[in-house]
Amino acid sequence: MADATANSPRRHGSLTTTDPRTKRRNAAEARFRAYGIAAIGLGLFFLVVLATSIIRSGVPAFTTTVVSLEMNVSQAEYDEAESGMLKTAAYTKLFITKLGAQLREAGIGDDVQDDAIERIMGKVGSDMRSFYQENPDSIGETVTFTLNASSRVDGYFKGRVNRETLVDSRFLVATDLDVVDALTEAGIITRQFDWGFLTGKDAGVDNPGGAGIGASVIGSFFMMLVVLVLSLPIGVAASIYLEEFAPKNRWTDIIEVNISNLAAVPSIVFGILGLAVFIQFAGLPQSAPLVGGLVLTLMTLPTIIISTRASLKAVPPSIRDAALGVGASKMQAVFHHVLPLAAPGILTGTIIGLAQALGETAPLLLIGMVGFVAREYPGGFIEGFVEPNSAMPAQIYTWAARSDVAFYEKAWGGIIVLLVFLLIMNAIAIVLRRRFERRW
Amino acid sequence: MNDMRPLERIVDTDNIKISAKGCQVYYGDTHAIKDVDVQIEDKTVTAFIGPSGCGKSTFLRCLNRMNDTIDICRIEGEILLDGENIYDKKVDPVQLRAKVGMVFQKPNPFPKSIYDNVAYGPRIHGLAKNKADLDVIVEKSLRRGAIWDEVKDRLDAPGTGLSGGQQQRLCIARAVATEPEVLLMDEPCSALDPIATGQVEELIDELRSQYSVVIVTHSMQQAARVSQKTAFFHLGNLVEFGETGQIFTKPEDPRTESYISGKIG
Amino acid sequence: MPVLWIILIVIAIGAVGYVATRARAMASAGNDARHLHSLPSYYGYMAFLFAAAPAFLLLIVWLIAAPLVIEKRVAATLPADVVEQAASQNLLMAEVRRVAVGLDNAVAAGVMDEDLASNARADFTDMTARLKEAGQVITQNVTTPVLRAAQMMREANASSRLWMTIAVIAVAIAGAALAMMRAQRDYRARNVVERGVRWMLVGAASIAILTTVGIVLSLLFNTIEFFRIYPASEFFGSLTWSPSFGGGSELGIWPLLWGTLYISVIALAVAVPIGLFAAIYLSEYASNRVRSVAKPLLEILAGIPTIVYGLFALLTVGPLLLAAFGDGGLGWMQSGTAVMTAGLVMGIMLIPFVSSLSDDIINAVPQAMRDGSYGLGATQSETIRQVVLPAALPGIVGAVLLAASRAIGETMIVVLGAGAAARLSLNPFEAMTTVTAKIVSQLTGDADFASPEALVAFALGMTLFVITLGLNVFALYIVRKYREQYD
Repeated sequence: MADATANSPRRHGSLTTTDPRTKRRNAAEARFRAYGIAAIGLGLFFLVVLATSIIRSGVPAFTTTVVSLEMNVSQAEYDEAESGMLKTAAYTKLFITKLGAQLREAGIGDDVQDDAIERIMGKVGSDMRSFYQENPDSIGETVTFTLNASSRVDGYFKGRVNRETLVDSRFLVATDLDVVDALTEAGIITRQFDWGFLTGKDAGVDNPGGAGIGASVIGSFFMMLVVLVLSLPIGVAASIYLEEFAPKNRWTDIIEVNISNLAAVPSIVFGILGLAVFIQFAGLPQSAPLVGGLVLTLMTLPTIIISTRASLKAVPPSIRDAALGVGASKMQAVFHHVLPLAAPGILTGTIIGLAQALGETAPLLLIGMVGFVAREYPGGFIEGFVEPNSAMPAQIYTWAARSDVAFYEKAWGGIIVLLVFLLIMNAIAIVLRRRFERRW
Repeated sequence: MNDMRPLERIVDTDNIKISAKGCQVYYGDTHAIKDVDVQIEDKTVTAFIGPSGCGKSTFLRCLNRMNDTIDICRIEGEILLDGENIYDKKVDPVQLRAKVGMVFQKPNPFPKSIYDNVAYGPRIHGLAKNKADLDVIVEKSLRRGAIWDEVKDRLDAPGTGLSGGQQQRLCIARAVATEPEVLLMDEPCSALDPIATGQVEELIDELRSQYSVVIVTHSMQQAARVSQKTAFFHLGNLVEFGETGQIFTKPEDPRTESYISGKIG
Repeated sequence: MPVLWIILIVIAIGAVGYVATRARAMASAGNDARHLHSLPSYYGYMAFLFAAAPAFLLLIVWLIAAPLVIEKRVAATLPADVVEQAASQNLLMAEVRRVAVGLDNAVAAGVMDEDLASNARADFTDMTARLKEAGQVITQNVTTPVLRAAQMMREANASSRLWMTIAVIAVAIAGAALAMMRAQRDYRARNVVERGVRWMLVGAASIAILTTVGIVLSLLFNTIEFFRIYPASEFFGSLTWSPSFGGGSELGIWPLLWGTLYISVIALAVAVPIGLFAAIYLSEYASNRVRSVAKPLLEILAGIPTIVYGLFALLTVGPLLLAAFGDGGLGWMQSGTAVMTAGLVMGIMLIPFVSSLSDDIINAVPQAMRDGSYGLGATQSETIRQVVLPAALPGIVGAVLLAASRAIGETMIVVLGAGAAARLSLNPFEAMTTVTAKIVSQLTGDADFASPEALVAFALGMTLFVITLGLNVFALYIVRKYREQYD
């Protein structure tokens, strides 16, 4: 301590002038802060890019291009079409003749060839035929038909198809687009909301225009029903045991470690489990929403258990003591007092778990719930669980994996539908939390 | 300076290190410190005493702008350090804190080795030109923290592995290593046992030879033992400030007397 | 009788038991509930529990055990030469099962009547034709031994079903009766019911264990099966992955592991710096207002299903990268699906995962530590870099390991974004494939489950499970230790 310098501490300079070293350090500080802002900015930027590409590419899926035409088919024409060998072709021809006549009458396209109309319209014959077979009274009357244009015309309106890309195409010729423009101006070709997309079923690989997500929404619904009915009671029961009754021993330790590990097991592994145990071993039907629901239940359980335990833990011990103090059994204290108080938190956690399960794809592929299975609506409520069906995310995957570009639009549209469901579920969870959350 | 008030006349104006004028502190809507004027001398131990929640710790943290880290805290009035207002816009709190060091209530060594704990300050302030220099500073600081003999053989051991009293002396050594001019101590002994408290108090007395030390304490005995000047705070007001002996033997304000005799607090 | 009906009958028995037992208990106490040991409803619950719990347990055990027993018995009747001819007993039994189900379906569809289906002298060519007519998929012509075995299986199934129904209902009735006999005023019904409920809670908690056991067993058995027909040394030693369903596949895991690791490393290289800096900014710098907006917005990224990211990779990021690095730009990239595409998108997905975990961990560092550093005149960034981050390091390492395990197990992004070619290459702009992507493609094809090309998926799954489990256990251990340090 005899050191001379030790007895006279360093004199600092004035506080109001920043020394160079402090300047450097403050610059480093500003840089570091900027990295943080940049990181957040990047994250948000990615979010914006994702959102815009979903909306920009997905919204067109909800509209479709239609040709509306007033038509009068006489009994003679009907009989003639029905008498031929190729009935739908006859109707197509009938339609084209009538449209061509109308066009020439309106002076839109004197030079419009019939095959150009055929290319624009795609296949209209079967729609017409089934209409007249169901409504024979309409024969001889004037009926307004609204029929889908071919998927390439649809693509023209959605920017997928233009004159350059049509050079080598025989399905639609560049000059046809002039006709399309003229028809649009005349109000014959219009775009309208595509209810078929929301209510439809998956269509074949050659018919992107007819594909809809309706059937797989139903598949998802039945799956979520299974998940809800199984995972909520099992999850709550398991959490009550672990949080309120479990003695601290090896067995509970193993269960605890197990649950946190299960929450991090890749979802595809649950798919393998479902395939091996539920389909190979237990012999449950393939592609059934029931099996999908079982697999997703096992996958969601850890999440629900973890959040339920958090809500149970948040109920203060004084509540339990109060119940026990008036002579309730431990079981009564938990079921009468703790559980109702924790219920909003448990529900919130469950909804969030369900939302996760709703978006899960990989395990469904392994148990056969791929998109092309969703060709039919289930016959009834019980059948809804066991008849082959798909689910929204698996349907989206199937569309994305097809080679026709028109299906990509459907996939993006499907994503919007899926996200709307997720948004609703999360909104309900947030409202529940806001409205019922109790701070102790 | 011709309208000096009585309080200021009794201190040696040449030797004033910190002086606060009309200092107000608000926490959101709460008025935590009300119009405090105080003059703290160099090479003196000044004790802040008062019941819990009286604002003594808050005021202490104003002296090196530690309250800046709390969003809702707002300070009015001025605090001069060597005649410069530390709340001036041009003042960098980082430079200020290098000059006004602080020791906290609970020993808070970093999860690093003992050596790195002490070397942390000199490193960030660039006080050492090389490793040898740094070694000298570390040893000097540890000696001044009266802990060198206990740790010299295990400088690489983690600082968190020391006992409570040792940790606190390590924190004092760490504060001393940046060569501050003022040392603020916020109840430095409240988490320590009596033996460790004795060691730290002894150390504070030694530090007085070079630093202006301000200590907040809830123990009146401790204030009486280590300080030369004492300030009594009550409900955010500075009630009385003067020579320690005088405050404890014949306080002027009835509130001080009540507190010292154990009627309030 | 369908299982659903059995369940409903058992529930009905339980309900009747509830009413009867409750009434009997009340009667024993002179219709004054105060004289009962427990509340009257507990006597009712007891009856329901006694009726339903053992009956359902029996039902479950029977449903699981019966097919195993029946198969074993049927398999024993198959002549040895037929088994030899059909490559393996498993394949043959699969065929038997298919025929048995086919007969059921055919009867249900009305193509044949019950007599014919179980007629032991039925002609098998006729049978094959009829089965095909019923839309049943049968790989070859039904041979006589197979047909006989299938018929025997049907018969055994039917009688097992009958006995199961009788046994389950009998157990339920016996349980309800037992409860009713015990319903006396001093009987401690509440304690009995609570013990029962407690066991049910234990059962629910054990499902987690059962799930793990199920995962391990289903992976293990099929993996062993795979290694029986495909050498393990090839699987772990070969550097080529070229499955061909005609046989002669090379199924080396290394190209897949390499793709998995490469993509994961890129994903982490994106997610860890961005996520970590975002967490630092949010927990140390951001004002409450900024935090309350930015944090939930970032977490939206975590709530988006992976299929959305897959599509984003395939249709948005892939073409963008191709425009920059493809033939039009730098010429490093052949197609939009590549390691880079999948890695980048996976990185975006993992940002909120890393940031919210790190945020928790950084917040757990005590404020006193920061105060100590500020008190010495350190700037905020110095405090973070030299005090907060070193203190939080173990926790952050744990978070990164968890993120890595996520990346390795991620499926949809790589299925859509990484391409399908299994190759060992260093160029991140080339298409590669991963373990998870190949599990999907091997199990969703039309391959026979008994073929090595399908079974390899289970070996891949096992590898994936072991790697991710190891990472998780290690990471959770680190995080837990870290938490304890500051508790």
